[in-house]
Amino acid sequence: MSDAALDYRRRIPRIVRPSVTASPPLIRWTLRIVTLTLFGVATAIGVNLGIGAPEISPTSVVHHDHVASP
Amino acid sequence: MRPLGHTATTLLVLVYLGAALAVLQGFFGAGLPVRLNASLVAQVSGMAAGYGAAVMLISMSRAPWLERGVGAHRLARWHASGAPLVIILTTAHAGAAIVAWAQAKSIGLLSATDDVLSLPGLITASIGTVILLLIGVASLRVVRRRISYERWHLLHLLTYLAVGLGFAHQLAGPDLVGRRWLQVAWALLYCYAFALVLRWRVLQPAFQLWRHRLRVEDVRQESKDVTSVLMSGQHLDELRAEPGQFFRWRFLTRETWRSAYPFSLSAPPTPRRLRITIKANGDGTRRLFDITSGTLVFAEGPYGVLTRRRRRRPRVLLIAGGVGITPMRSLFEAIDLPGKDVTLVYRASREQDLVLRHELDEIAERSGSRVVYLVGPTSDAANDMSAHALNRIVGDLSAHDVYLCASPRLASRVRDSLMDDGFPRHQLHEERFTF
Repeated sequence: MSDAALDYRRRIPRIVRPSVTASPPLIRWTLRIVTLTLFGVATAIGVNLGIGAPEISPTSVVHHDHVASP
Repeated sequence: MRPLGHTATTLLVLVYLGAALAVLQGFFGAGLPVRLNASLVAQVSGMAAGYGAAVMLISMSRAPWLERGVGAHRLARWHASGAPLVIILTTAHAGAAIVAWAQAKSIGLLSATDDVLSLPGLITASIGTVILLLIGVASLRVVRRRISYERWHLLHLLTYLAVGLGFAHQLAGPDLVGRRWLQVAWALLYCYAFALVLRWRVLQPAFQLWRHRLRVEDVRQESKDVTSVLMSGQHLDELRAEPGQFFRWRFLTRETWRSAYPFSLSAPPTPRRLRITIKANGDGTRRLFDITSGTLVFAEGPYGVLTRRRRRRPRVLLIAGGVGITPMRSLFEAIDLPGKDVTLVYRASREQDLVLRHELDEIAERSGSRVVYLVGPTSDAANDMSAHALNRIVGDLSAHDVYLCASPRLASRVRDSLMDDGFPRHQLHEERFTF
């Protein structure tokens, strides 16, 4: 990461920079929605991964008496 | 160390319960009767390691309910004792699995290793194990002392990759396979652990960078080894930072952006400014002395429970050792008690090691509080910091809440003496930092 990149704000005229004014309640609600969405997506991915997981373990050779499970 | 609170106790019970279930699943996963052999060791250690890795991720996710309910220091301590166990269990799992495979197939260990590595997901899991082992070795005290904090920190970040690499193998392991609800639960555990990390270690600091636009305003050299960094930004009151708390700071310059350093606020925060005071403690922290005004700052926090809200008694004794003065300086100014009820004891080896002395004297004069400097060798009786000596300084010690921040050695000496003297544990509030 270059210093120039980090310092971009100094180089770009103010008029070009995006200007967003947000009140604290709006910020809080946005963050809550971001959190809920993130965990919603995590739930969907988790359920999908679990349901799509293998039904037969590729790492079991024989069940019960001689199970080897790397 | 404060006693375990409600959140910490609940969390510990849940973690142990989960661990017990994972181990039981490892025992009975292959069916009955259970036989003590390499295969059983592999299954039990595998389940325990997989579960432990997810718990370790969650413990370091910086989720606010964890940081507030348990405390950053206690979480770090849990992580420091749990992580080696996870690495040992992972290694034991890999070793026992190869032995079990060799026994089951009646082949040698080398051929068994070759066979095992050719199975789906095992190459990535093995790479993950090797990375974990490397991190474990780098964290050994003897090795850790020889590498910089920055390198160690960078290496430590590979943990996420290592854990991710082992995930596919875990879902297909014989303990979970064929039990759909268990596979879903396991996948959810990992997805939630990574979501917590993403939310609080990536999105939150990035949001704070955008919202507060924190930049270095001024860097002031306090002494040869100590410097103060004043930062200014917008809406800083929304951070709800309190005197005594700390942030993990990442200064975005070419030389320093890779590492986040935990430093306490050395002055009460205002809606426009935050200040920290840094002592040079290796090349990394020394580099921070060269940061310039205008540098962007990526701040994670605030963290820490060493705040005035913990006070329950009518008087306060603040004890600082060396650069441990930073949160105490902040609290010394902000503690909501009449000056006569606040005493600061500040220990340093040499006069020149007394950081921010002029500010402390000024606060003491303005508020009527007392600051006591203990300077010189520990062997000097005048520098005694036992409970008995502290009681002599402040009068009725039991009527005080004691806030302590010092080097591990000094903090442990003061803590042990207070506990031996019967000082109530819940009246001692501590923050400990070690790189």
